[in-house]
Amino acid sequence: MQQLRLEHISKSFPGVKALDDINIEVKPGEVHALCGENGAGKSTLMNILSGDLRPDEGTIIINGEPVSFDNPKEAFEKSIATVHQHLSLIDNLSVAENIFANQHPVNRLGLIHYRKMYQQTADVLSELKINIAPTMLVSALSPAQKQMVEIAKALARKPQLLILDEPTASLTDKEIKVLFHIIRYLKQQDVSILYISHRLSEIFELADRVSILKDGKYEGTFQKAALTTQQLIKRMVGRDLIDLKPSSAKQSTILLEVKNLSGEKFKNINFKLHRGEIVGLAGLVGAGRTELARAIFGADKVERGEIKVNNEVLLSSHPAKAIEKGIAYLTEDRTHLGLFLQMSVQDNIVSANLKSARKGNFYSHAKAKELAEESKTKLRIATPSVGTKAQNLSGGNQQKVVLAKWLQTHPEILIVDEPTHGIDVGAKFEIYGLLKELATSGKGILMISSDLPELLGICDRILVLNKGTVSGELLHADATEEKIMALASH
Amino acid sequence: MIKRIVQDRIYLLIVLLMVVSIITGIIFPTTFPTFTNFSQIFLNVSIDTIVAVGMMLLLISGVFDLSVGSVVAFVACLVAYFMQEANIPVPLAILLAIASALLIGLVNGYLIAYKEINPMIQTLAMMGIVRGAALMISVAGAQNLPYHFNIIGQSKLLGVQMPVWYMLLTVLVFSFLMTRTIFFRRYYYIGGNEKAAELSGIHVKKMKMIAFVISAGLAGVAGILISSRLGAALPTLGRGLELRVITAVILGGASLSGGFGKIPGALLGALFMGIIANIMVIARVSGYWQEIILGIILIFTLWLDKALLKKYSKL
Repeated sequence: MQQLRLEHISKSFPGVKALDDINIEVKPGEVHALCGENGAGKSTLMNILSGDLRPDEGTIIINGEPVSFDNPKEAFEKSIATVHQHLSLIDNLSVAENIFANQHPVNRLGLIHYRKMYQQTADVLSELKINIAPTMLVSALSPAQKQMVEIAKALARKPQLLILDEPTASLTDKEIKVLFHIIRYLKQQDVSILYISHRLSEIFELADRVSILKDGKYEGTFQKAALTTQQLIKRMVGRDLIDLKPSSAKQSTILLEVKNLSGEKFKNINFKLHRGEIVGLAGLVGAGRTELARAIFGADKVERGEIKVNNEVLLSSHPAKAIEKGIAYLTEDRTHLGLFLQMSVQDNIVSANLKSARKGNFYSHAKAKELAEESKTKLRIATPSVGTKAQNLSGGNQQKVVLAKWLQTHPEILIVDEPTHGIDVGAKFEIYGLLKELATSGKGILMISSDLPELLGICDRILVLNKGTVSGELLHADATEEKIMALASH
Repeated sequence: MIKRIVQDRIYLLIVLLMVVSIITGIIFPTTFPTFTNFSQIFLNVSIDTIVAVGMMLLLISGVFDLSVGSVVAFVACLVAYFMQEANIPVPLAILLAIASALLIGLVNGYLIAYKEINPMIQTLAMMGIVRGAALMISVAGAQNLPYHFNIIGQSKLLGVQMPVWYMLLTVLVFSFLMTRTIFFRRYYYIGGNEKAAELSGIHVKKMKMIAFVISAGLAGVAGILISSRLGAALPTLGRGLELRVITAVILGGASLSGGFGKIPGALLGALFMGIIANIMVIARVSGYWQEIILGIILIFTLWLDKALLKKYSKL
């Protein structure tokens, strides 16, 4: 590819102008990062390039020639491949069938040439250092493996422009390294890469240039060397963000005590959570953090050990019991496990404590609405109304709805699992602020996160999990990324 | 206004029913818009509606039950057997027959909720088992049921047949329960996102099992009503009822994927189908055509629904 140029691209949806006069140029062999908060128009722009959407105005120019795509197939034909944030793999088919979906190699009779397909798949996978058999079913893969297969699928089309949308969201550090290695290799082959990520550290590591979108408008393209993180955030968000530090509201009362707790993916876990304290739970994907959280919440079975809440043993066999004892669990996967997407914001907010929406003995729509409005104001949830379906909100606002839902149960202990996963910088900082406020008001917070700067930023203490056991504990003052990584991966 | 009507199936059906009735009333002014005809329509849909209320509950929670038609027949035959062969007093016979329906629901619900058997397979199998049991109990059917039994379905109140009152009562009670009690509100969450519901502290399995028990119980009530209205019990009663009821409930605004639907929708859906059937009888359309036309109406309504929603949901 010589170059890709977007000229005056605009796109409107009913009620919003998603893109307004965007001009971006991607040079051959360049890693071009696209930054912006959720709702800034990154996905819309990506969907236009992948042929899923057509722009209302403007032209896409490839090698000096204007092109237009009516569907994703036409974009492939112009050597543009896209790795979407939401996986597009088919669970019941093999890895090879997914990678060659709709473009199977054929033999002379026009039938699928399976041997060739498996061979080619094996080649692509080994290039990516992925150790998966081509015949394996996608349903048997881990989320990280699925993501790598998705990338393999895009690469199998030998693209000249590769669009990556949050490709590292579900990858472990090791896989991220492999992915970066591949990106650099593709770059040498003159492949252009459009890289979308919320993780600013990745952008600074990989990108040559950075284009910034804000509220659908083009804010400019910058050489990486000419930008600092602070400047980048300021351009994306439009204001300065406060520095992170823990609330340091720790009191002496112990809220939660876990003794010798063992389950399927973790063993002999011991820790205490005090009132007003934020404790971080660090570790690699698969270290057993989520499983530990689910076990404390009663969603998974405990094999051995004891959980004490307010010095009282919790015999938890179901989340209902844990909720009653004052535990809330904000899941890592908000769309599948946290929200009722087709239901209104209001219905979501009262979902974990329907009883709070009673007037007398009966459920009252008006009462539920009142509660939802209160939460909306308090957490600054941006939604046209509390009657809007949860699926129509941005990621950050959806997460606030989930938080509001749990605050509705008046918990003493909040377990938050990747609370800022896939949400934009502005919303992230709002969530941090809310968590710190909650700690200050005397609640105990257990925060699972793979985002080390955020753990280092707001946790009073960090526990590191490694292969299901606690491999170390770091106080805020001593904790560094290096120390955490050493404990997490030794 | 138009948006409101389109987005809420209840309003849409009411408008549609009024339009159809007015047009038909103009074409057949002597036969269609009469009290007798309308009380006949309501009587005809009363059994279906009672079963549909239970089915609505199931569809809201994201499951369904194909065995309800068989349960209707089984309960009818069983109550007849209890009264005529076992000489059990009428009230006790009714209670026992309904208890047996609840037991069928419990078995379905337990296996589907706790043993994770696919609802379609489980209730399809149960449909065959229960129909077989009905045939076994009654062979050719039972006639001349006791007077005190028949009076349940054959008497009138304020000039309207009793089954219509039972139907209205069922709709009102369940409508209230679904909107105003915490217990039944939970079914919307279960149908909306089962995993999230479990993590929100809802005992999903238990709730699902109970939904099957309630639905089977309503099918049992329908079985009692139909046999008392006919004064007879046949093992072939309620054939095809399950599909008719599911159709009515879907027309009434439920979705096969769960989470949606209101109880009055079950009544309106059944009523819509009842009125169309009635019009075809008045217009002397052959019985064969009636089934074809009902099928077409279902497909058309769902298509219209999708098209209208698409057009208006973006405003």
